[in-house]
Amino acid sequence: MPHLTKSFAIKARDYIRGGDVSIQIQGLLKTIGFDAALIRRASVCAYEAEMNVVMHGGDGTVTLTVDTDGIVIDVKDEGPGIENIELALQEGYSTASEEQRELGFGAGMGLPNIQKNADGLEIESEKGEGAHVKIVFKLRSNGG
Amino acid sequence: MAEENHRHYVQIDEKRCNGCVICMKACPTKAIRVKDNRVARIEGVCIDCGECIRVCPRGAIKAITTGSGASRISPYTIISASPVLYAQFGEDVMPNDILLALRKVFKYVYDQAYTHELCNVATELYIRENRGREDAIWPLISPVCPVVNRLIAYRFPSLLKHIIPVITPREIAARELKKRLYCESVFKTKEFGVYHVTPCSAKMISINEPMFLEASYLDGAMGINEVYEVVKKNLHEVDEDVMLHRSGGVGMGWSLCGGEIAGLDEGSYLAVSGLRETILYLEKIEMGLLNDIEYFEFRACVEGCIGGPLTVADPYEAKRTVQRLVRMFGQEKRLKFAQAQSAYKEGWFFSEVERKPLGGKPKPLSIAEGIARQERLEDILRKLPEKECGLCGAPDCRTFAEDVADGKALLKDCVFLGWEKKHGEQA
Repeated sequence: MPHLTKSFAIKARDYIRGGDVSIQIQGLLKTIGFDAALIRRASVCAYEAEMNVVMHGGDGTVTLTVDTDGIVIDVKDEGPGIENIELALQEGYSTASEEQRELGFGAGMGLPNIQKNADGLEIESEKGEGAHVKIVFKLRSNGG
Repeated sequence: MAEENHRHYVQIDEKRCNGCVICMKACPTKAIRVKDNRVARIEGVCIDCGECIRVCPRGAIKAITTGSGASRISPYTIISASPVLYAQFGEDVMPNDILLALRKVFKYVYDQAYTHELCNVATELYIRENRGREDAIWPLISPVCPVVNRLIAYRFPSLLKHIIPVITPREIAARELKKRLYCESVFKTKEFGVYHVTPCSAKMISINEPMFLEASYLDGAMGINEVYEVVKKNLHEVDEDVMLHRSGGVGMGWSLCGGEIAGLDEGSYLAVSGLRETILYLEKIEMGLLNDIEYFEFRACVEGCIGGPLTVADPYEAKRTVQRLVRMFGQEKRLKFAQAQSAYKEGWFFSEVERKPLGGKPKPLSIAEGIARQERLEDILRKLPEKECGLCGAPDCRTFAEDVADGKALLKDCVFLGWEKKHGEQA
């Protein structure tokens, strides 16, 4: 089965490059030829996950895996971890700093937005141990 | 193949081109290749943006236009002038004098900027309607810049439905001029043609192959650079006392980035200029990150149409001139809103042509094949030095890897791979 894996590095607090990884992922999915609606869902999730790492996570890695079953976006970081996953999944809950809010982030929509757009979401994290977010998109027979 | 049939109106003079990599690197769609160390050729999808024309140090690249000579043949040639023309002769030369100077050569001259206000009204009404719609698509995108339209059709086809279906001011101007002249004229012939004087290298393609109209109402285009000298000369000989200039500051302001949205009522609008920035924003829109903006004015040229590749004046001096004209003629609207509104309701502003993606890269047949190709491409890319030198004939290593993956180039064309091999043998 054709299968592609590609990793991208994310740097903490790099607001200038923040978002570049998801744009690269979007471009890659476009070249492969996925349906536009699926690409939009996947790139929104990639963006939210990437910005979470940029803002809270410390350095991290995004690994994109693509095969004929679908798309998996796997994000790992070395940050402080998510203290309360249930709370983090609530719309409007945010631990963003004042400085980050001034940059337009911290609306508390990151993880909820991923949950809304993805077909599957797994979060593994403990305080002080970093976070591991796995986002899954299933491919339907029509390419979307 | 689709991309080989794609037409464009940019021409490379093989005698002047020395095969440097400057245009190839500047091309936003990566359409140019310089193979075998010879001359630059357009092999991919060209969107007629004119970046290559602007950057070529040898003046080897030109836009194909109707030309000022060709259109003089008919005595019934009508000129519809972009207001960018008014910004070419310095701050002290008034638009009416420029139009009169043009009239020394062409009998009928029209101030196109007047229709800009009309289109502002149509855009505003369309945005208002959209606000009331439950299935509204946001953000909407201006249909004015032909390069942006082509960029969207080629690289962002999912955003085609964001472009509002309002006909552009240049086409409305041409359509109405033809109607009026046909009614007034005793010569009920098709002899008269409407020609657009323009700063834009993409007007010829938008006239010959319009994206949102069955056929263009314009018959051709000539660059501002092609009429500049004759207008400059005739400015000293203007003796008529006729008012050809009708537009106000709103219409003339469209020459600058932000001028179109300045003519709209309150709303959440954004004006972005330059291809690089435009691509960045289109990527964000495609990701759904900018749904809070209602309307985007995109212009492929930096600072807007005054930065067009077929202009003569320095764009920043031109900007100052436009700003002065806008102040001088005022920001009040010159047309009756109610009248434009009833025209809007009658469908006067709308085009009904379906928005089709441009035949760009040949689409892979299936996701499996797409993934397989991408795997090949990444494999090749891992072997490349990522020096981005362009000596292989492709603009960067990624594009070269694509060419190799598609069988359009050979891996041995990479000079670094060759060098390393030789170096290794010697050691």
